[in-house]
Amino acid sequence: MSKDQSKGERVSVGGVDVGGTFTDLVAYDPRAGLTVTKVRSTHPKPEVGVMKAVGDALDAAAASELQYFVHGTTVGLNALLEGEGPRLALLSTRGFRDVLEIRRGDRDEPYNLFWRPPPTLIPRRLRFSISERIWGDGSVLTPLAEDDVREALEALRAQEADAIVIAFLNAYANPEHELAAEQILRGLGYDGEITLSHRVSREYREYERTATTVVNGYIQPVVSEYLGRLEDALAGYGFGGTALIMRSGGGALTFGDGRRRPFETLLSGPVAGVEGAAAIARQMDFDRVITADVGGTSFDTALVVDGRPPVKHEGTIVGLPIQTTWVDVRSIGAGGGSIAHVDAGKLLRVGPRSAGADPGPAAYGLGGTEPTVTDAAVRLGMLPVDDLGEGLTLDRDRAEAALAPLADQLGLSTVEVARGVVAIVTAKMADAIREITVERGEDPRRAALLAFGGAGPLFATQLADELRLKSIVIPPLAGTFSAWGLLVADAVRTASRTRIVGLADAALEEVNAVFAELFGEIGATADAVDAAQPAQRETVLDLRYVGQEHCLTVEVESEDGRLTADAESIQREFKREYVRAYGVEMDDPVEIVGIRAFVRRRLHAVESFAGPNGNGDGGQAAAREVEAYSLRRREWCAFRVVERSGLHAGDVVEGPAIVVESTTTTYLDADYVAKTEPNGCLTVTLESGEGE
Amino acid sequence: MVGTAEVHRAGKGELSGLVDADPITTEVVRHGLMSCAEQMKRTVIRTSFSPVIYETLDFAVAIYDDRMRMLAQAPTLPFFMGVLSMAVDAALESAGGADAVQPGDILLYNVPYETGSHPPDAALAMPIFSNDGQVRLGYAAIMAHWLDIGAKDPYCTDTVDVYQEGTKFPGVRLYQAGKPNEDVFKIIKANSRMPRMVVGDINAQIAALQMGARAVADLVERHGVQPFGQAVERMLDHGEMMVRDYISRIPNGRYVGQGMMDDNGVDDTPLPFEIAVEVEDTTVRLDFRNAPAAQPTPINAVLPATISCSRVALSMLAGGGEPPNEGHFRPIEVVTTPGSMFHPLPPSPCFLGWPVVQAFDVIFSALTQAMPGTAPAWSGGDILAMVWWGERERTGEAWIDGCPHPVGQGASGSADGANALMHSSESATRLTPVEVWETRNPWVVEKVELAQDSGGPGQFRGGVGLDVVIRATEDAWLTSVVERTRNGAPGVDGGGGARPNGVTLEYPDGTPRSLSKATRVHVPKGATVEVRTGGGGGHGPPAERDPEAVLDDLADGYISTSEAERCYPHALGRRD
Repeated sequence: MSKDQSKGERVSVGGVDVGGTFTDLVAYDPRAGLTVTKVRSTHPKPEVGVMKAVGDALDAAAASELQYFVHGTTVGLNALLEGEGPRLALLSTRGFRDVLEIRRGDRDEPYNLFWRPPPTLIPRRLRFSISERIWGDGSVLTPLAEDDVREALEALRAQEADAIVIAFLNAYANPEHELAAEQILRGLGYDGEITLSHRVSREYREYERTATTVVNGYIQPVVSEYLGRLEDALAGYGFGGTALIMRSGGGALTFGDGRRRPFETLLSGPVAGVEGAAAIARQMDFDRVITADVGGTSFDTALVVDGRPPVKHEGTIVGLPIQTTWVDVRSIGAGGGSIAHVDAGKLLRVGPRSAGADPGPAAYGLGGTEPTVTDAAVRLGMLPVDDLGEGLTLDRDRAEAALAPLADQLGLSTVEVARGVVAIVTAKMADAIREITVERGEDPRRAALLAFGGAGPLFATQLADELRLKSIVIPPLAGTFSAWGLLVADAVRTASRTRIVGLADAALEEVNAVFAELFGEIGATADAVDAAQPAQRETVLDLRYVGQEHCLTVEVESEDGRLTADAESIQREFKREYVRAYGVEMDDPVEIVGIRAFVRRRLHAVESFAGPNGNGDGGQAAAREVEAYSLRRREWCAFRVVERSGLHAGDVVEGPAIVVESTTTTYLDADYVAKTEPNGCLTVTLESGEGE
Repeated sequence: MVGTAEVHRAGKGELSGLVDADPITTEVVRHGLMSCAEQMKRTVIRTSFSPVIYETLDFAVAIYDDRMRMLAQAPTLPFFMGVLSMAVDAALESAGGADAVQPGDILLYNVPYETGSHPPDAALAMPIFSNDGQVRLGYAAIMAHWLDIGAKDPYCTDTVDVYQEGTKFPGVRLYQAGKPNEDVFKIIKANSRMPRMVVGDINAQIAALQMGARAVADLVERHGVQPFGQAVERMLDHGEMMVRDYISRIPNGRYVGQGMMDDNGVDDTPLPFEIAVEVEDTTVRLDFRNAPAAQPTPINAVLPATISCSRVALSMLAGGGEPPNEGHFRPIEVVTTPGSMFHPLPPSPCFLGWPVVQAFDVIFSALTQAMPGTAPAWSGGDILAMVWWGERERTGEAWIDGCPHPVGQGASGSADGANALMHSSESATRLTPVEVWETRNPWVVEKVELAQDSGGPGQFRGGVGLDVVIRATEDAWLTSVVERTRNGAPGVDGGGGARPNGVTLEYPDGTPRSLSKATRVHVPKGATVEVRTGGGGGHGPPAERDPEAVLDDLADGYISTSEAERCYPHALGRRD
C-alpha cells in the first residue's frame, strides 16, 4: 500500500515476514532505498498474501531484478503446534521402540506429582522394531533384517501412515543401516517421504536425535509444499534470484535446503526480528536489548547481549529437544488480536484465543464481533488512525459494541474494561520479559526495550512502566521490522559430526579430513547461493577435558576450511575460554568431540538504515490533537498526533502524543519524551530524566 | 523401639511480617537467586567427569543466607535439596563456627548422620562475602555423588557399621583462603578407586561454588545489603504462607500410610512401617515412630534423610509446583524415635537409607485419605539403583557407572498414570542416553523399552514400567539395590496393583539369578542383566474403564490381549 519509493527501480533484495495477522514486505535497492508493504496474512495459504505483498510493492520488472528473496515464516511451527502434520511411522532398533516416549525419564516440572509428558508425535502402534544393531564404535553387531523392514512397511501401509522416519541407535557413528533400510523401502516401491536421523543430526544422544528427526518428518510435507508453491509463484512473477528462508539459529537457508531440512527453520519468523535487533544494538552501541515484537496473535521477546542474538546449541519446542542451533526467543499468545472474555469466576481474561487476520478485531469491520486488544486500544483513543491501509479502517462504534457485553457482565464502563484489557495483556508480556531476563539474573532495567511489530510501539511505554525500564527504542519501519531483519541475514549452511579424538597435532589431520567431508557434504547438498562475496568457511570444534561429557564450542583459525591452528594454540584458546566460562584452569588433557563446519555468505544487502527520515517537516504539518486516555495519568487528555515521516534527526516529541506512520502507531504516554536519532530510531525516556 | 520421641522442626526462622518489602525487588531478588543456583547447576553439569553427575544429575546446589536458611536451589535431585542445609550446618560447626570460616575457604563434609546420605554423597560449602569482603552474606553449597570414596565396595547393601561405608571428612578445609589444601586432596585420592574422576568432579563443584558466590555477591551489590535482606524475608514468608494456606485446607486429623520394605538387605524378613500425618490448623506433623528398630544393615535412614523426605514430599503437594525455600519447611514437624530405622544412631550402618524413598509414596497415600485427589496412586516405589564397575580389558583402567531407573506412576481419579518416570524423590534425575553409555562402558544395551501389562489396571490405568537389558562385553561387578520386589504398587478405590520391581542376572550359559539387594555380584563377560521396573497403581474399578481406552491400549501394546480379557472383558465385547 505505501511506497516510499517509486516503482521501476532495480531492487536487489526483498524480505517477506509472515505473521499470524499481517504479511510484511521490506525491499531494498542500493540506489532507491527501502520499499515497505503490509498486507493481511492469508492462512491457510500464506503464499497468497506473500505474492500480494510482492505484487503491491514491486512490478514484474522490479521483481525480476531482485537478487535475493528472504523469507520468514511460521508454517512449520504452526503445523507442529496445531498437530497438522502427517501420520508418521518410526522404524527403530529392536529393543528401542519407545525412545520417543521414555525420553530421559525426567519431569519438566519436578515438583508437580501430576506432570505427564506431552503425547508423542508418533503413537506406539506406529513405532516398529527392526532387528539391526550398530555399536557405539560404529561396528555392526547385528545385520539389518530386511524382513523386518518389509513387515513394518506392510503394517504401516495398513495403518495408512503418510511418511516414514528411521532413527537407529548409533546411526550418528555409522549410518549404513539407515541408508540400507531406506533403499529396501524404495526397492519395495515406497515413494513417500523418508527422513533418516543421521541426515538430520550426526550428534549422539538417541532421544534428542530421534525427536529432532521426527519433528523434521512431521513438518516437512507442510513446509516443503508451501515453499514449493511460493517458489513457483515467485518464478511466475519473474523472480529469478535466490530465495532463502530464515534459520532458527540465525542466518538463512535456500528454499531447497529449507525443504530438505525444515527443522532448521522452525523459528524462522521470530528470529528475523532478533537479527534485526542485534544489528540495531551494534549500530547504537547498546550492550543489552530486550525485543518486544507484538503482532496480531503473538508476543515474541529475546535478550540481545553485546549485539549478538542469544544462540543455544539445542532448542526445545512443545517439550521436544531439537538438536540444532537455536536463537532463544520466548513466545506467548498475546497480541492485538487476542480476545478478551469474562471467565467463570467473573474475572476479565485476555487470550490465548486470537481473532487473527480473519475476521480480525471488531473495529476492522470485517465481521469480527469479539472484543480484542485492538478494540480496547481503539476505545481508549490510542489508535487514532482511521486508515490501516488495504481498505481497512478502524470503526470505533464496532469496538465499543464488542466491549459492551463484557462491560455488562462486569458492571463496568467500556472504558474501564478497555483499560483492564490493556493492563492485563501488558502484564502478560512483562511476565515473558521477566522470564528471559530476571530468571537469568539479568536486570531488565539495565536493558533498552526495542519495540516493534504492528502493535509493539503501542505497548512500549506501558511495558516500560510495568518493568521500570529506562529506555525504549522504536526503530524505523517498526511495523515491519522483522521483514527488515530478514535483509541483514547471511546465507548460512552448517554440518557437524560427533568424533571423539584426543587433541594432538597428529589428530588434526583426521579432523581436517572430517572438515573436508563436511564442507564437501554442504557443497554437494546445499544449493549454490550467488553472492558477490565468496563463501566463508568457518571451522568450529566442540572441546572438553578428557573424561568430561560437555564441551565448549570454540571457533578455530582456518583457511579455506582447513585448520591453520596447531594443537597447542587450539588448546590455549580452549583453556582461555574455559577459564572465562567457569573460572578454573585444569591440566587435564583435552579432546575433540564435535566438529562443526559453517559456510557463510554475506549477502551484505543492508547494513543499516539509510534513514527514511529527513524528508519531512519536523512533524509540524500533521500536528493535530486527539482526545485519548493516558494510562499513566488515568484520565483523558489531549494527545498531539505527529507524523513520523516528518521527523528530522534531533526532533523531540513530548508525550502525551501519538506518533503515526503507515505500519504502526507509537503511543507515547504522558511524561515520556521521544527523540529522533540520526539513524531514524526514536529513543524514548521519561521526562524526569530517570532514564538518563 | 529405642529411646524417647524427638520432635524436629523442619524449617528455620519465623514469619518476619515484613510485608511492605518492595514486591518488585522481592521478585527480582527471588529470580536472581534462582538464576545464581541455575548457573551453579549448569557449571557442575558442564564441567564434571562422571555420567552420574552430568547425565543422571545425582547432585544438588543451593544458596543459603547467613542464618543457614535456604534461599534458592536449582531443580536437580529433590532429596538432596532437603538434606543439604543440615550438612552445611554440621560442617560449619565442625570447622569452628561461622566466624572461623574465611573468604575462599571450602568445607568438605560427608558424615552420614548429618548429611542424611552415604559418604560418597559429599557436601561442599563455601561462605559468600560481599564484593568488598566486609559482610558475610551466606553460603553456596553443593552435594554430589562422588563415584567412590573408599567404602568396602563402590556401592554396598551389606555393611555392618558406618566405618565400612567410606572415608569420612567431618568439615575439613578442602580450600583455605582460595588455595587448595593438598593434604586433603591426597587423602581423597589415596582412598578412591577412581581418583582422577573424583578429583575432576570435585573441581567441577569448586568452579560452581566460586561462580555461585560471585553471582550472589553481584546480586546483593545491585540491590544493597539491606533491601536484599528484606526481600529475602518477604520471599521466605511467602513460601511459608503458601504451605500454611495449603495445610489449612486439609481437615484436621491423623492420617496413616503403610509402607513395607522387602528386607533389610541381609535377612529375608519384611520390614513394615507406618507414617502418620497429623494435621492441626496450619501445621503438619509427620510421625515416623511406628517403625522397626535400627537394623544392623545399611537400610537405615539417618535423621536428616527422614526430615528431608518430609520437607520435599510436603513441598511437592503444597508449594504450588515451585522449588521450595526455607519458608516452605517452617510449618512442618517431624517426629522420630532415636535408635529406630528412621533415626539410627552412630555407628549404625546407613549406606542405603532406602525407606525414605518409599516414604514419599506412603506420605502421599496418607494425605490422599485426608483429601482425595491430593496425589496419584503409588508409583513403582523405588529408584532401582544399579552400580557397575570393573577394570577395562585393554587398558586396565578402572571404571564405575550407575543410575536410577524410571518407574510407572500411579493413576489419579482423572487420568492414567504416566509411563516410566523417575521416582518423585529423584524426579529431576535423568536416564543416561544409551549412545553415551556405549562410548564409555563395556556394554551392549540390548533393550530399553516400556513393559507391557506392568501398570495396575483400573478405570484409570497405572503407568507402565520399563524393561532394561544390558549385556556385559567385559567382566564387571555389580551392586543392585532394588526395593519393592515383593509388593507392587497397590491400586486405589478399586484399582488394581501393578508389577513389582525385579532384576535378573543371566549367565552366559543361560542360568538365571534373581537379584534385589546384592553387593559385588560378578557379571562375567557375555552375561546380561535385566532390570524390570514396576508400574503405577490403578485408580477405580477396571470394569469402569472407557472401552475405547482399553482398545487403544491394546493397539499400542501397553496391555496384552490376555490382560485385556482378564481385566477389561467389558471392552472386548464391543470389539466387533
